[in-house]
Amino acid sequence: MSALAIENIHKRYGEVETLKGIDIALESGEFLVLLGSSGCGKSTLLNIIAGLAEPSGGDIRIGDRSILGAHPKDRDIAMVFQSYALYPNMSVARNIGFGLEMRKVPVAAREKAVKDTAKLLQIENLLERKPSQLSGGQRQRVAIGRALVRNPQVFLFDEPLSNLDAKLRMEMRTELKRLHQMLKTTVVYVTHDQIEAMTLATRIAVMRDGRIEQLGTPEEIYDRPATLYVAGFVGSPPMNILDATASQGQLRIAGDDHTIDLPSRLGGAVADGQRVKLGIRPEALRLAGGSEAGPQFRARVEVVELTGPELVTTARIGEQRVTACLPPRSSVLAGEERTFTVEAEAFHLFDPESGRSLAKG
Amino acid sequence: MERQSAVFTVFVYAAALLLAAVILAPILWLFVMSISSAADLSTKPLNWWPEEIDLSRYRLLLSTIENSAGAAFTASLFNSLKVAGMATLAAIAVAIPAAWAVSRTSNVSWSLYAVIATYMLPPVALAVPLYMGLAYLGLLNSVFGLALVYLTILAPFTTWLLKSGFDSIPKEIESAAMIDGARLDQILRLITLPLAAPVMATSALFAFLLAWDEFFYALLFTSDLRAKTLTVAISDLAGGRVSDYGLIATAGVLAALPPVLIGLVMQRALISGLTSGGVKG
Repeated sequence: MSALAIENIHKRYGEVETLKGIDIALESGEFLVLLGSSGCGKSTLLNIIAGLAEPSGGDIRIGDRSILGAHPKDRDIAMVFQSYALYPNMSVARNIGFGLEMRKVPVAAREKAVKDTAKLLQIENLLERKPSQLSGGQRQRVAIGRALVRNPQVFLFDEPLSNLDAKLRMEMRTELKRLHQMLKTTVVYVTHDQIEAMTLATRIAVMRDGRIEQLGTPEEIYDRPATLYVAGFVGSPPMNILDATASQGQLRIAGDDHTIDLPSRLGGAVADGQRVKLGIRPEALRLAGGSEAGPQFRARVEVVELTGPELVTTARIGEQRVTACLPPRSSVLAGEERTFTVEAEAFHLFDPESGRSLAKG
Repeated sequence: MERQSAVFTVFVYAAALLLAAVILAPILWLFVMSISSAADLSTKPLNWWPEEIDLSRYRLLLSTIENSAGAAFTASLFNSLKVAGMATLAAIAVAIPAAWAVSRTSNVSWSLYAVIATYMLPPVALAVPLYMGLAYLGLLNSVFGLALVYLTILAPFTTWLLKSGFDSIPKEIESAAMIDGARLDQILRLITLPLAAPVMATSALFAFLLAWDEFFYALLFTSDLRAKTLTVAISDLAGGRVSDYGLIATAGVLAALPPVLIGLVMQRALISGLTSGGVKG
C-alpha cells in the first residue's frame, strides 16, 4: 500500500487537455518533486491532489481510500502556497493554529502544538506579530508551520521558494531538507527550479505537456535522462546536444572530421548511418593534454566566463555550440582551437525524431 | 521634484488655495446665510457678514413642538436616517454574497454586468412601474417602501465596489483556509470580510450618501410626515409664496451634518479603502 497513489489522472478544460494520464505511486516518507516549465500541468496536478480542482478522469488515493470528491479539509493534506497565503488579519500564532482551531482542538493542546511547531521552525519570537510585519523568509516559515502543525499524511508545496531572493532560497531549501529528514513526511513539491528538484527530491517526475517525461531518482534523472527534454531541462548549464551520425561503431559529429569510438554499451543501439543526437554534460568535458586515449574532438573557443568555482567555456564545432565547465585555472583563451576529451561513459544518445534515449536499460 | 523654482512653488500653492476656495465657498456662504437675519440677506448691497448673529432658525427647525415647522423638519430628518440607514444595511447585506460569488466565479460575472446595465436607465423610466408596484404592496408613503426602492439603486453599486474589493484578496488565502478546515461561513466571517472591511466601509458610506441625497423618488413616493425625507422637506421650505432663504440654508446645514459626522467617524477605514487597491498578504 502506497502513501499516495495517483492513477491515470486526466484533466480537461473544454477542448484543452492539461493532464493526459498521470500515474505515480508514492511510498510513505518519499519526497516527490513535480518538475517542469510553466504550463506543463504540475500545479494542476497538485491542486487536484489538494482538492482545489477536480480531475476529469482517474483516481487519487491516500492510504487505502480514494479521496476524489472529498472536501480538501477531509483529505488529510496540508498545502504551502507560493504566495504564502497567510491570513493577514491574524497573528502568526493564530495563523499556525487556525487549522487546529477549525478542527476544534482544545485551546491548551492547540497552544502547545503551535509552540512546538514554532520552536521547530525557529519563529517562537514572532508568534505575536502580524504577517505584514514579517520578512519573506519568515512568512515562508509561518506558512510551513501552518502545514506542519496539523501533522497530515501528505504535504503539498506549490513553488514555495520562488518568491524569495537567491540567498534566502538556498537557506530555506536546506531547511526544508532538514525538516524532511527529521519528520520523514510524505511530500509532493511543485517547482520549475531543477536545482531545488535535484537537492530535495527522493524522486523527481519531470513533466511536459500534461505527461510525465521521466519518473526517477535525482541520480537517474541526471545520469540517465530518458528523453532529450529531460536531458536539456535538468542541469545547469544544460547538456550539450550535438548532431552526429553513427557508422560502423563510430560517431561523427557534424562539422568535425574526427570520429569517436562508440562505447560498447551503446554500440548495439544504433544502426549504420543512423543520425543521432549526442548528449554530453558540460561538466563531463575536459581539455585534452595530448596523450589521453578516449573520445576527443576539436572545437574553436568563443567565450570564456569565470563564474568562480568553474570556467564556463563556449566553443564551436562547425556550426554547433558546445559548453564546457572547466576547472577555474584552466588555460584557455577565446579564439583558440582546442581539443576536448570526455569519458565515453558520459555519452548520451537520443533518437532525433522521438527524442527518446537510445541507451538500453 | 526637488529642484522646482520658487515661482512654481507659489503657483502650486495658489492653485491649491483657489481650488479649496471654490469648493468651500458655497458651504461657507450656506453657513453665513443660516445665521444671518432676514434683513441682512435682503439688503443691497449684500452684507457678507451678518450685523448680528441670528440663531433663531436653528431653534425653529430643531424645536419639537407638535405641528410646528421644527417637528416636520426633525421628522423628515429621522425619516432620512431610517431610509438611508435601512437601505445601506440591506445593500451591504445583499452585496456581500453577490459580490463574493461574482468575484470567485468568473463564469457568472456577466450577471453583474446585466445588473449594472439596469443602472444605466434614468430614474424617470422606472418611476411609473415602481409607483404601481409600491401601491400594489401598500408601501407608498412608507419609509420601508422608499428604503426598498433605494435598495434597488444601492445594491448594484455596492456589489460592484465590493467585488473589486474581494478581487484584491488573493484566492489562495481562501483555499488555505478551506484546507485548514474552515467552512464557507467561517472563511467569510474570519478572513474575507475582515480583509474587505475598508472597502465595505467605503461602499457603505457612499451608499448612505446616495440614499441621503436622493430627491426624485422621495418626492414621488412620499406625501407626509410619516415618510417624507429631508430633501423633500427642504424643497417644501422653498415652495411657499415667501421663501426664507436663511431657513433653507439652515436646513441645508443641518442636513449636511449627519453624513459629515459619519464620514469623520469612518475616516480611517475610508481613507485606506479609497487608497489601497489591495490587501497585502
